[in-house]
Amino acid sequence: MRLDPEPLPRRDWLGLASLWSAASALAFGFIGAMRLPKAAVVAAPSKALKLTLPESLPAGEAFVPPGRAMAVFRDGEGVYAISTICTHLGCVVKPNAEGFECPCHGSRFDHAGGVVKGPAPRALPWLQVRLANGEVHIDEGKTVPSGTKAKQA
Amino acid sequence: MAEALNAMKKNKILLLVSSIGVFVLLAAAAIDENFLKQWRRIQASGSHDGEPIPVQLRQVVNMGLRTADRCVSCHVSMGPGEDGVTGNALFKKHPPVVHDPAQYGCTVCHGGQGLATEKDDAHGTVHFWPEPMIPAAVAEAGCGTCHAAPGVPSRDTLRQARATFERLDCGACHRVDGRGGTIRPDGGGMEGPDLSRVGITGYDAGWHGKHVAKAAAADKGPWKTSFAPVPEADQGAVAMYLAVRNSAPRLTEAKSVFLSYGCLGCHRLSGVGGDEGPDLTRAGERDPGQTDFTHVPEQQGLDNWIAEHFRSPGAVMTGSKMPAVAAPESDIQQLTMFVLSLRRRELPGAYMPKDRIAVARMGQREFAPDGATIYGAFCAGCHGLNGLGRTSGDETFPAIANPEFQKLVTDRFLTETIARGRPGRRMPGWKKEGGLRPEEIRVVVEHLRALAGVTGRTEEDAWKANGSTAEGRKLYAAACAGCHGDKGQGAKGPSLGTRAFLEVATEGYLRDTITKGRPGTVMPAFGEPSTVHRTLTPGDVESIVTFINLWKGK
Amino acid sequence: MSPSTEQRPPLAEFWDNLRAAPRRILDTAFRGGSPSTDRTRSTFVFGNVFLHLHSARVHRWTLRWTATAGLGIATTAAFLITLVTGVLLMFYYKPYPDVAYQSIKDIHFVVPTGRFMRNIHRWAANVMVVTVILHMARAFYTAAYRKPREFNWVIGMGLLAVTLGLSFTGYLLPWDQLAYWAITIGANIAQSPREVTDALEITEWFDPGGFQRALLLGSEVVGEEALIRFYLLHVMILPLVLVGLMSIHFWRIRKDGGLARPVDADQRLEPEPGVYPVFTQAPEKTYQLAAVVEGRTPAVGRGPENTVPSMPHLFYAELGVLMLTTLICVALSIVSDAPLKELANPSVPENPAKAPWYFLGLQELVAFSAFMGGIGIPTIVLAGLGLIPYLDRESEGTGLWFGGPGGWPLVKRALVVGFGASILVEAFVIRYGWIREWFPSVGQLVVTVLNPGTLLTLIYGAYSVWLVKRYRSTRAGALGLFTCFLCGFLVLTVVGTYFRGPNWDFYWSPSQWPRH
Repeated sequence: MRLDPEPLPRRDWLGLASLWSAASALAFGFIGAMRLPKAAVVAAPSKALKLTLPESLPAGEAFVPPGRAMAVFRDGEGVYAISTICTHLGCVVKPNAEGFECPCHGSRFDHAGGVVKGPAPRALPWLQVRLANGEVHIDEGKTVPSGTKAKQA
Repeated sequence: MAEALNAMKKNKILLLVSSIGVFVLLAAAAIDENFLKQWRRIQASGSHDGEPIPVQLRQVVNMGLRTADRCVSCHVSMGPGEDGVTGNALFKKHPPVVHDPAQYGCTVCHGGQGLATEKDDAHGTVHFWPEPMIPAAVAEAGCGTCHAAPGVPSRDTLRQARATFERLDCGACHRVDGRGGTIRPDGGGMEGPDLSRVGITGYDAGWHGKHVAKAAAADKGPWKTSFAPVPEADQGAVAMYLAVRNSAPRLTEAKSVFLSYGCLGCHRLSGVGGDEGPDLTRAGERDPGQTDFTHVPEQQGLDNWIAEHFRSPGAVMTGSKMPAVAAPESDIQQLTMFVLSLRRRELPGAYMPKDRIAVARMGQREFAPDGATIYGAFCAGCHGLNGLGRTSGDETFPAIANPEFQKLVTDRFLTETIARGRPGRRMPGWKKEGGLRPEEIRVVVEHLRALAGVTGRTEEDAWKANGSTAEGRKLYAAACAGCHGDKGQGAKGPSLGTRAFLEVATEGYLRDTITKGRPGTVMPAFGEPSTVHRTLTPGDVESIVTFINLWKGK
Repeated sequence: MSPSTEQRPPLAEFWDNLRAAPRRILDTAFRGGSPSTDRTRSTFVFGNVFLHLHSARVHRWTLRWTATAGLGIATTAAFLITLVTGVLLMFYYKPYPDVAYQSIKDIHFVVPTGRFMRNIHRWAANVMVVTVILHMARAFYTAAYRKPREFNWVIGMGLLAVTLGLSFTGYLLPWDQLAYWAITIGANIAQSPREVTDALEITEWFDPGGFQRALLLGSEVVGEEALIRFYLLHVMILPLVLVGLMSIHFWRIRKDGGLARPVDADQRLEPEPGVYPVFTQAPEKTYQLAAVVEGRTPAVGRGPENTVPSMPHLFYAELGVLMLTTLICVALSIVSDAPLKELANPSVPENPAKAPWYFLGLQELVAFSAFMGGIGIPTIVLAGLGLIPYLDRESEGTGLWFGGPGGWPLVKRALVVGFGASILVEAFVIRYGWIREWFPSVGQLVVTVLNPGTLLTLIYGAYSVWLVKRYRSTRAGALGLFTCFLCGFLVLTVVGTYFRGPNWDFYWSPSQWPRH
């Protein structure tokens, strides 16, 4: 009595070819499908903004444009903007008397955005500022070396 | 197991063939999506400072207007921070305009489908997109999405204002709509400021005094050579011209044509106008997919439809009672452009322009306040731009600017007739919600007087008829009832038996009208001998007037 | 432990295990090794969660292409495809009016592979509706619903209803004109019992129609409430119900002894050279002792069985059908994009507002009477279909195409009757109108009870009763009735799809439609 009487032909080329082609078709489809969740466009407004600084803004005092994570300063050397997004994990830091402090994990930054304390790995980036017709043009997407201040042309 | 193995072999072949088929089709789809897309090929041809630009979908997002316009995936250099991209005709820079396309996006002005990334879809010429792009030739119609452009004069007034501006040679120093202005010899820009937008931004109302002072102080240069004091009348024309400098000169021109064909006599715009036709405030937002193009020669394009609608309204739109607009083709095109511009979208507060707020909420007029403009906008449709009346089908609209008539009537008669209308006739009363203000009616009356070239009666004729009522009744039945109805209810001629009419028509006016007739209408002069109608003696006329006045008491 | 292992370095065993881990993971994932012998193939099936749906061996009869045409698997495959693509689409779809439309535009234009996925989703849904109907027809014509499979047929009815429900709820989600007006009509069909309650003037106390509509829309109109409800039904409730019913459906196939086949299937099959008995003699034990189930267990003690191992025979067949279905869906997706019309506009109705094609037969009936067409007749049809296995208690022809008294010649005649009657009724109505046109003052109840839809149902019913009498067989009547209804469905669907234009007027072709 045989209980294992019908072994497959040893080389089932057709079976293997069909299985592999099915597997590759499905894998190809899977790879294609996995491209879907990565959005091709991000629905975010332009990172550039225009604003007018209040005349009365004291030198070195932060001006925070509504809805933007940045602090704009004016002093004798010019106008500059510092991003207020913590370089640690992205909380918004608050300007205070010593510079900036992060409410999430206690990072502290000095007036120029340099790290003083806490887990933040890098200084707060300075943003590109241009002055034109009395307006301040800031581009959140472009950073400049710390200390770059824009002067009226 | 021959048969079973055979069946399995068939299944394996099925699996093999299907799998290869799926693989090939997926590969085709992948190649199509990743390599063959139109915008990819366009972007691949682009470079910035000699470097190829990254090939990726681009868009302008405006959170306030809730738009995400992907037009910049092909028109790359119009996107934010992308100017300077070259290599393709599509990378032409946007001409300088007030609103930065990189901030406002594209579709808010141009229409079309901003979400799309393929040409036909994006330009909105596909079947299921209600808002195709505004044709480039009338691109300024797009300003109407947000703006109302108030205070536009009728065409002749605007032409005169522009002519004045040019005659005064303001363009020697000032630039307007891309023309005029002199560059200073030292290269320091224009001699005078650009005036193209002063209608919106405003300008110093005391400009003339300051110009005079500067000219007087100068001993050489343009202040000395190019400026002379402007007469008072010309200053008004210049002010009117500057009030509509809104950087959309062609749209302003089109609107001035619109305001010369009496369209507001039947249609409302921003709540002001007549009630016979549909409101036009958003007439430019018609969905081509819901529009019948059967009777439009070109069969497509909303502009063609609107133009053809002006030429033969009834054919294009079944049941339309609008008379054909008897206008030269150039005017039809202007009217079409203006109607296309009537988009007037609901906007979030921060984007609502001041002029729209002024027109929609603060009662500012879309038309200029002068009599010619108001007459052109409201009255010219029926009474003709020159006030000589018009015949449309079997309807006759009376001439009102002929000197014979104007000499007969008082200002009160004209004012009251405009304000209260003529019951039983097509003439509506303009003292209504969405009608004319007393001041506006007054300037229309003044305009009518000017058209006729006569000052008209200021004092009411004190003459009182004192004839025989019975005789008057007989004569009325014989001579007048045929046109005015046996009870004065009106038929071919206007109704006479209404209080509204008799309260403003003095007995002297009735006498003179019967005797001398109404030139420009079918009303004959009964005081003159004729073969076609009975001749009435002054006594007959007095009797008739007496009889007609009986209706006053009703 | 032996002394030798103790002398090995302390971490040696750990390293060995680490090295062996990949092979062991593979071994444990596929228990029993390569399926090259009967025993290992059975183990493969037992040990694999997907294949465990099947018995280890499958009868040769059911493996023939003509036995089932693979329609059940094709339906399952289409469902799996919609499931995968649907989950992917959920990454971008936002169920809120207007925003929903924009998100579909985004999927169409900018989402990587988005357009393709949506096309496949849409086509697979259509394929699923087609195959589920064909699958039902197969089960009916081969009399597969008979004992012991009666209840599985009833579950199949449920699956048909849920499939149509999934299609219908998915129809609203794009929030375009097509969707909006189709759902408005659908919601009013749900309300159509009012047609009867109004006529009886009892709506005030008893209003099932209003209740159904309110339940479906969550509001007075098709709005954000309706959209979120349809979304919930489409992505959560109905798929869960479908998966649940499918599990039972499949499980019962095993428990009912595989697919239906003729009692003499073994004789009908070509004898296979080299066929050997699976069990040379009846084993001492039966499965019944191990599994507490009633009825016969298929393979016990009955000598040669004509069965073959499910792995690989059934495996290749099912995989083949799966890939074929995928091929069809992908090919259709490349040829034709899923439609997306203008943004929904509650003030401008689509004209004509057409439901998805498989509901256009119903829409044709609805044009006669909303209640009868939308609820009455479908209920009668579904109830009739569900009752078939309990009325037909015969055994002649089980497992054979058009099996039973009358057979194929009867079905041919039924086709003539079914097509003839439906085309005649349609032609009559299109040419001469119906009661309302002749007697405008006639009461609604009369139209509800007596309309072309009920007339057609009556004709088919009468024909079927006559068949029952003539052949002295319920099966004969069922064959006739089912065929007739299939014909009616086809004719009404074709008329609704191709010959109805604006205002639901008859047109020979869409090119004759008046332009708005």
